[in-house]
Amino acid sequence: MNEVLLSQEVIVYLLSESLLFGLLFVAFIITPLLIKRWNFDAFTQEQFRLENRSYLVMSIVFFVMALKILLLPYFVYTIDQLSDIVPGAMCGAGIIKANGYGNPLLLLKIIILFLSGFWMTLNRLDLEAKAYPYTKRKLWFFLFIFMLLSIEFALDILYFTHIQTTNPVTCCSVIFGQMGGSNALFLGLDTPMLLLLFYLLFVLLVLMLWSKNSLGIIVTSLLFLFVAYYSVVYFYGTYIYELPTHKCPFCMLQQEYYFIGYLVWGLLLVGVFMSLDYAISRWLWKRDALRLRNFALWALSLFVLLCSLFVVVYYSKNGVLL
Amino acid sequence: MIEIENIHKIFNEKSSEPFEALKSITLHIAKNEAIILSGVSGSGKSTLLSLIASLDKPSSGKIVVDGELISKLPDLHASHYRAKSIGFIFQHFNLLEALSVEENIIAPLIPSRLDIITIKKQAQESMQRAGIAHKASQTIRELSGGEKQRCAIARALVTDPKLIICDEPTANLDKANSLKFIEILSTLKALGKTIIVATHDPIFDTLPFESRLIKMEDGRIVDE
Amino acid sequence: MHNNAFFHFLSLLLFKQKNKHIGAIFISVIIIFLLSSVLFISSSLQKSLQATLQNQPDFTISRLQAGRAVDTPTEWIEKIVQIDGVSAVTPRVYGRYFFAPNENSFLIVGVDFFDEQSNRSLQELMETTDLKSFFAMPSMLVGEGVQKFMSAHYYSDSFSFKLPNGSFKKVAIAQQLPSSTNLIANDMIVMPLELAKEIFAMEEESITDIALNVPNDAEWDTIVGKLHLLFYDAQVIDKREISKAYKSLYNYKGGLFLILYLITIITFMLILYQRYSMVYSAEKKEIGILRAIGWSIQDILKLKFYETLVIVISSFILGVVLAYIFVFIFDAPLLQEIFLGGENLANSVVFVPTIEFGILGSLFLFFALPFFASVLIPVWKIAVTPPKEAML
Repeated sequence: MNEVLLSQEVIVYLLSESLLFGLLFVAFIITPLLIKRWNFDAFTQEQFRLENRSYLVMSIVFFVMALKILLLPYFVYTIDQLSDIVPGAMCGAGIIKANGYGNPLLLLKIIILFLSGFWMTLNRLDLEAKAYPYTKRKLWFFLFIFMLLSIEFALDILYFTHIQTTNPVTCCSVIFGQMGGSNALFLGLDTPMLLLLFYLLFVLLVLMLWSKNSLGIIVTSLLFLFVAYYSVVYFYGTYIYELPTHKCPFCMLQQEYYFIGYLVWGLLLVGVFMSLDYAISRWLWKRDALRLRNFALWALSLFVLLCSLFVVVYYSKNGVLL
Repeated sequence: MIEIENIHKIFNEKSSEPFEALKSITLHIAKNEAIILSGVSGSGKSTLLSLIASLDKPSSGKIVVDGELISKLPDLHASHYRAKSIGFIFQHFNLLEALSVEENIIAPLIPSRLDIITIKKQAQESMQRAGIAHKASQTIRELSGGEKQRCAIARALVTDPKLIICDEPTANLDKANSLKFIEILSTLKALGKTIIVATHDPIFDTLPFESRLIKMEDGRIVDE
Repeated sequence: MHNNAFFHFLSLLLFKQKNKHIGAIFISVIIIFLLSSVLFISSSLQKSLQATLQNQPDFTISRLQAGRAVDTPTEWIEKIVQIDGVSAVTPRVYGRYFFAPNENSFLIVGVDFFDEQSNRSLQELMETTDLKSFFAMPSMLVGEGVQKFMSAHYYSDSFSFKLPNGSFKKVAIAQQLPSSTNLIANDMIVMPLELAKEIFAMEEESITDIALNVPNDAEWDTIVGKLHLLFYDAQVIDKREISKAYKSLYNYKGGLFLILYLITIITFMLILYQRYSMVYSAEKKEIGILRAIGWSIQDILKLKFYETLVIVISSFILGVVLAYIFVFIFDAPLLQEIFLGGENLANSVVFVPTIEFGILGSLFLFFALPFFASVLIPVWKIAVTPPKEAML
């Protein structure tokens, strides 16, 4: 059997995903009947049974989401571990590019986490309202997420069965390195412009969150996510590695850097998710979840502070910038 | 305070032998009234109580309590209503046998998200009012019938509900304890609570406080 | 947390009704214990192996004629020393010496004690050995397994080797090899080159192979090229190949256990599902009471979710701690045999404590996820208990 499929992490990961998919499938099977027969005004036994079943769907989605949150870093950890047995790879960057499924899979995972987060918010609003007003909508939404989850599960399997231990993959310095004008930034930006954009967008996002402008928050937070990704890979990362040529989003997840990458990317994703969640529940469901907004502000500020801190610490230690 | 309009409750609706437990009940109860529902077992008293307390849902009809339609509430709101407005005293007391008196009494307050110190203070007051404070740390198993009854009362009162509902409260008590229970009911009435008691105990025929006797038979109100 | 009424109540329920969960905790602890013992051992072995291999010579060269290993001529050494970047070129003689009565064998390694050694741990050992008394008479250094075996056969300070010509050669046991090298040196005997040649009856001008170091990693590939250019019939083995071979061997053994564990976990899930369906149906009345006094379905779900979490975490911690004690303090009796294999000389290894967060994380996922998945549906069933259950 393939050496990749025998490694402990991959076995654990695929087993976990299969179990979760099994549970989701249970939820998927009972959903169509729920959508079809749901009628809150009815006094029938059937309606009570359906109400109870909708709690099963909720429990399953909640449980799966909680575990998917744990499994995302575990997935990253797994591919990081695989870099030991796949020739040429120094970190996860090479492994994720080992075949065409890796990058779409990682992106899909993040999208699914975001969507299930929105689902949980909708679910809470539905339960807190007086007549389950959103039940049908949330069930349709679940079916949509389930479709994505099925694609994700298929990609999971395709991805791990198609990593070759004989073909060398490229190292992160090739994928992200900027030697000789390769990998130029989008829109022809240079580093100072990128940083300017990074801080400007952050300030703008904070202002939007303060002024509770839903549409503004959605647009700026997505832009910020995009720009922050590039800023970390091409600027702040070099201060984490303390090496001006080392540009990689994966290496910082390794033990040599005290797993700091999990914190950096975690804060960014949590912050952006909460901003989006806040904006959407304000815009679509007319709810002003202030706690959510404050969490978003905290996470984003911590993220920006943490990134800036690497630069400051490096400067105060060495007296120069990279 | 409570308006019950044309309530029906049918069990085993889909089966070949549906059983109609309540047939077209209409009843209005004012604030601070004491209602004694009497009738033999199977007459539908307990079913009516469970509908008023939102423990069960009617097959048709409307129940409005304090302007809120409680016959069709989502679970979260029904639970909230039970916790806030209802103090239920069950026939078999229905205490959690493994826990102590105090632990039983704090149970209704747990979902309220109050901190434990406030909750314990409220429980203390309630236990004092029901006269069970001296047994606070004893396990339910070690209590006598009368003590269990007082513990159940303390639990019903801990959320300071407007409505006290009792299902055959004296069925498992001796005469002395039954009289004590009636005494407690009269203080509750004096405090402004609305009281509904379902019973076939003749001791409720003569009460030290003003009350309204409603007779039920075969799922209907036959005499008021 | 301290003032949180919910957790206060949760701990009350758990503590007063602990009997319900003891069965599930017991099975969980056993499973966690077994699995983490196995994973601790395999990761510790890999670590020690890595450390031992670090000390091995970077390359060994031997002569191969038509795929058959033959003795290597000593004149190769002079030629190899000429190559730039090569250091500690050591001739070696080795082979298995069979101790006929028991069908056991020792690995005899003959080295030139006056050269610089390419094996770094051997080099250290030699610096601490009193060479004067060592060479006063034929002497050897023996691995722990050999030492034990010999003393069990009443050879406490010397051993008589039977030479191919039928005579006996008495060799004194000078010292024991450090037990930290047991993984590969358990059945090893180190002795002077000439003595080893005598035991194997080898010709004067030949040796088994030549070990050498190349301090600069970047030079490795070039050196291999040069060696092949120099001797058309040479076989060059580098340290990385040995390392990989051993690593995949232990990885495979760990993987085998995981497959076994897969079967166990399915059984475990079925047991849990059964068990908790039963436990919860017995709780129906109790949950009905809580529902009647104002707990919502979500409150019950939360209660059961945290209840399960407490059980999962406590059995996880208990299992891991027990496994840690078993492996790293008692050196894993029984399980050790499976990993090390005892066909030849009985081996014993002191496991070096290594804790990897990745392994603990994998373990936790592998255990907690099936656990939760199997109680999820029983939990939901009990949580939607209608509150009128309290009236019955």
